[in-house]
Amino acid sequence: MDFLTPLFNPFLQNALIAAILASFASGVIGSYVVVKRIVFISGSIAHSVLGGMGLFLWLKRVYGIDWLEPIYGAFLAAILSALLIGWISLKFKQRKDAVIASIWSTGMAIGVIFVSLTPGYNVELMNFLFGNILWITKTDLWLLLILDLFVLWIVGKNYFKFLAVCFDEEQAVLQGVHVERTYLLLLSLVALSVVLLIEIIGVILVIALLTLPPTIAGLFTRKLSKMMVFAVLLTIIFNVVGVFASYQINWPMGATIALLVAAAYLLSLLIKNSLTIRAKI
Amino acid sequence: MKEKPLIELTDLSFAYEKVPILENVNIKIFPGEFIGIIGPNGGGKTTLLKLIMGFLKPSQGSIRKDNLKIGYVPQTNRLDKLFPITVFELVLMGILDEARWFGKFSKENKEKALGALERLQLLPHADKTFGSLSGGLAQRALIARALVSDPEILLLDEPTASIDVETKKKIYEILGEIKETITILMVTHDLNIAIEKVERILMVEKTVSSLSPKEVCKHFAVGLYHTPLKELK
Repeated sequence: MDFLTPLFNPFLQNALIAAILASFASGVIGSYVVVKRIVFISGSIAHSVLGGMGLFLWLKRVYGIDWLEPIYGAFLAAILSALLIGWISLKFKQRKDAVIASIWSTGMAIGVIFVSLTPGYNVELMNFLFGNILWITKTDLWLLLILDLFVLWIVGKNYFKFLAVCFDEEQAVLQGVHVERTYLLLLSLVALSVVLLIEIIGVILVIALLTLPPTIAGLFTRKLSKMMVFAVLLTIIFNVVGVFASYQINWPMGATIALLVAAAYLLSLLIKNSLTIRAKI
Repeated sequence: MKEKPLIELTDLSFAYEKVPILENVNIKIFPGEFIGIIGPNGGGKTTLLKLIMGFLKPSQGSIRKDNLKIGYVPQTNRLDKLFPITVFELVLMGILDEARWFGKFSKENKEKALGALERLQLLPHADKTFGSLSGGLAQRALIARALVSDPEILLLDEPTASIDVETKKKIYEILGEIKETITILMVTHDLNIAIEKVERILMVEKTVSSLSPKEVCKHFAVGLYHTPLKELK
């Protein structure tokens, strides 16, 4: 069974487990991103993560700090940029998109410079940008599991509060919700979800995986909770099919998954349209 | 009726980026009143509501409202029609601090929400998405959300804007029932109905003047707002 060969390859086993683990946080948080219409903000968080990864790679190689993995830098940069962007979007309602775009590009520029300053082979830049399953170690899997549980725990506790802040901030204020704090918490969860996905799909393509499955789910559901469940299932399917397909046809995994998701989105739009037309007849 | 006011605005001014919207406002709102707020577009009607609710902070002056439980009915077009939320969930948003893990609610709270839907005759629409409702139904859903928390005062922002005559009538019927137990403050462009239904009118045009319905001049209907004629005489 040629198709099942990846299951016996330890690297791919790790990739599959990581892909499934990341799908939970991604589907849930991605749904909030889509309904709150903060896709651009999330894209900015995702891209600025490169700054932290580049910095930590440089520190590790130049100063020999062995435990300092680029993924920790990704965490740091993701959370910092989420808080910074959150603060900007709360305080500067006008023209915030230009400021957010500048954080997007500044983060990437810092990353590129540190990677180029790092001695040795610089394959890392491509890995950071497009993902590399060979990165994923057993320790990473534990880290992913803990992060996943943490994200789901916070969402479980605050599900309705997040919903209120996404749908109607004024109502949330009247109900005594601290809207700004809740919004920043939500953006921090976006940051964590981005980091969870980066090892699989990379900085550049992460936004496709975070937002397109919930967008597809949103076409066919009437409740946010169902949208989340559907989005998680779709993300798992795209990731698993993407891992197998890229192995078979020897394409880069991140790009294969991104194309798969985009094709599925197009297909779902066609299905939705034909369903709507049929309902009208 | 004139006991301690529920809400008291004293020498209140509000400016947005240095442009004055409201100046030197002094009003008291007493329990049980049904008040209509009228005034030209951009005159500060919605701003006044937002100040009362605490969404905006006054540039000067003060608002006293002592832990008042406020229900708010915004304009329906302000909300995202594509948002995946059912009418039932929308009403539960009115008691969102009661939500448990993953947005589950207790049986009592669900019954409370169903009760609010029944009161607004919305039970058949409970599982539809909010975005799929017509203007009138959406407005009623927002009223149900505001009522589910048993507020002491209900604030409505143009509840009858761009809806058909029949639905308008229904909404006024509902407000007529509610006003027996809840103080109502309603922004409206509907002068005739305002004069007929409300007990007091606040005319908002940078400042706020309090009028009795019979002092409301016909000129207002064509957008010519002015201070009460009796003051001019």
